[in-house]
Amino acid sequence: MRLSILLFALYQLVWISSKTNRAFKKFISKAKVRFLIKTEDGKYARLFVFDQGRVSTATGPDHAFDAALVWKDPKIAFSVMLKKNQVAVFNAAAEGKLKIEGMSVFALWFDKATSHIL
Amino acid sequence: MSKIYGGHLAAKYLKEVEHVDMVFTLSGGHIENILDGLTEYKIKTIDVRHEQVAAMMAHAWSVYTNKPGVCLVTAGPGFTNALTGIVNAHLENVPLVVLCGRHPLRDDLKGALQEMNQIDMVKPVTKWCATCYETKRIPEYLSIAFRQATMGRPGPVFLELPPDILFEEVDEKTVVIPKRRTHKTVTQPGKNELEEAARLINQAKKPIFLGGSGVGMSGCGDILEKFIEKTGVPISLVNYGRGVLSDNHPLSVNGGGFTGLNAGLPVVDVIIAAGVRFNWLLQCGQLFPDAKVIRIDIDPHEIDRNRHADVGLAGDVGQVLGQLLPLVEKRDHSPWLKSFKNAYSAFMTSELEKRKTPSDPIHPIRLVEQIMTVFGDDAFYVADGGDTSYYGLSGFASKHQGGVQTPAGGLLGCLGTGIPFALAAKLAHPDKPVIVLQGDGSFGFNGMEFDTAIRHNIPIICIINNDCAWGMIKHSQEVSLGANRLTCSELGMRHYEKVVEGLGGYGELVTIDAEIIPAIKRAVASGKPACINVMTDPTVTSPATVFFYQSFSEL
Repeated sequence: MRLSILLFALYQLVWISSKTNRAFKKFISKAKVRFLIKTEDGKYARLFVFDQGRVSTATGPDHAFDAALVWKDPKIAFSVMLKKNQVAVFNAAAEGKLKIEGMSVFALWFDKATSHIL
Repeated sequence: MSKIYGGHLAAKYLKEVEHVDMVFTLSGGHIENILDGLTEYKIKTIDVRHEQVAAMMAHAWSVYTNKPGVCLVTAGPGFTNALTGIVNAHLENVPLVVLCGRHPLRDDLKGALQEMNQIDMVKPVTKWCATCYETKRIPEYLSIAFRQATMGRPGPVFLELPPDILFEEVDEKTVVIPKRRTHKTVTQPGKNELEEAARLINQAKKPIFLGGSGVGMSGCGDILEKFIEKTGVPISLVNYGRGVLSDNHPLSVNGGGFTGLNAGLPVVDVIIAAGVRFNWLLQCGQLFPDAKVIRIDIDPHEIDRNRHADVGLAGDVGQVLGQLLPLVEKRDHSPWLKSFKNAYSAFMTSELEKRKTPSDPIHPIRLVEQIMTVFGDDAFYVADGGDTSYYGLSGFASKHQGGVQTPAGGLLGCLGTGIPFALAAKLAHPDKPVIVLQGDGSFGFNGMEFDTAIRHNIPIICIINNDCAWGMIKHSQEVSLGANRLTCSELGMRHYEKVVEGLGGYGELVTIDAEIIPAIKRAVASGKPACINVMTDPTVTSPATVFFYQSFSEL
């Protein structure tokens, strides 16, 4: 539940920033990226869609994506994502609690994009 | 009185003093006498179909043999054609010796054939350049050229030899042949810097050794192995350093390729960067903001470039590691190494799955995996192209120095280097398989060099990753311009294998996964230079394209 709220709040922040944050707007202005964050069992999932400056979202795990962060369970996802810390993400991946499907370079892009707003 | 032509004198010096046994060239009237001299002094000549390939092969020869490569080109268009290869060597700091024809001195300013100011044009892209005006001084000029190319930080040199002096005869007794340099100037870091570097290495919890071309040019495999095995530091070798320690060494993290470095570098605490530049490929050193950086470089000016070094050690990589070795402690970083490998494997989940899964249409990374299945790590691999370079760099592994090269991924981004590099690799290592994974776009630059391969019996195996496009550009345009506005990025299906067949080589077209390995085996069995044209999925975009596009999208 907490993860769902976190993902929803993150999307809200992304949407507002796409209208108001000059650096973020510039960063996403040419990008076409579909980035999914979900748990392995698919119970928690949110898609972030960036389309040359416009952002939108969808819930559910079964969307096409360029990259997906797949978390072993929602608690770990919540605690690591809240830290906003590359070491925590790296450790989660090293310990088998996180994997990236699709191209990880899009995950790096998403991380860089959100660094403008978090 | 024994007379000798200037051209023969040049060849005599190359053979007897520099021990040059191979020269890469394309014939021309202005350089006829020196070509004849190469025959006289039994120096093997590899004559190519475009002078840029002569320069690129000589460049590659220096990478695969650790000796300066020599190319000989004629004046005018021979010179301008070679320029791309010279620039490439300049940006990669390679000891390339370019000998070039020139219009006759007697015809200066008369409108002679191929009269142009070559020196001013080549000056910005060479370490040294000169024109020799006197036959007797040819050996002296050559001696300077070789010294300049090889000493300190290496680089390309250019010597212009006018036909007036090449065709002139002189009394051999009056010529002074310089002795070959025997000294090696050594730059050493200070004791304090060495101790500080050792202290950082001994205290590190998550270190990495990142080695580049300076490792390869140092020829320091033995000392590097001792250093790595004593410190236990995970190692990634790139550029001409690749393979100095096998990609399959237990401490190597090269299996993660580009993705592995992107995953691991942001969390390391100490980086030992040896003979590697922090240029755009390493995000100018911004990828590891919190790490302590120890930089080893033969050029002291490189040490703080783009990223302040906590410790700078100026000197040859092998010599510096030799000085550090007694100062560092025996350590075991296996838990960190395991974390590193686990993390990048988690970041590469889809890529690792695709390698193991037959695909229709064929995924390029699956193609690379199938090639590796046939040849393993006892082979030399070259990849040439945009996306193709990424897949080659990521999927190939070799236990040989220079065993995996993606010359098109260097600073010049010089597509077309694949076939020249593969030819040079095969000449340097005739008993090893040499495979070039070639983009279909980049095949167009030097595909005609299969004629060179056939004339000189250099049986390389070229496998084309054919997506019928300039893939990296096409996929970028799909994002930036839209799929309906692609411009100059599509190529269409072409039977490149038939081009090679027409030239006398072996050719085969592959469209399904199951045929990749049998086709490669048939190509090997043919004993000829071979081209396997593999149709791959045109929709696949590599991470390199995304990375490349992003770097522009932020402008």
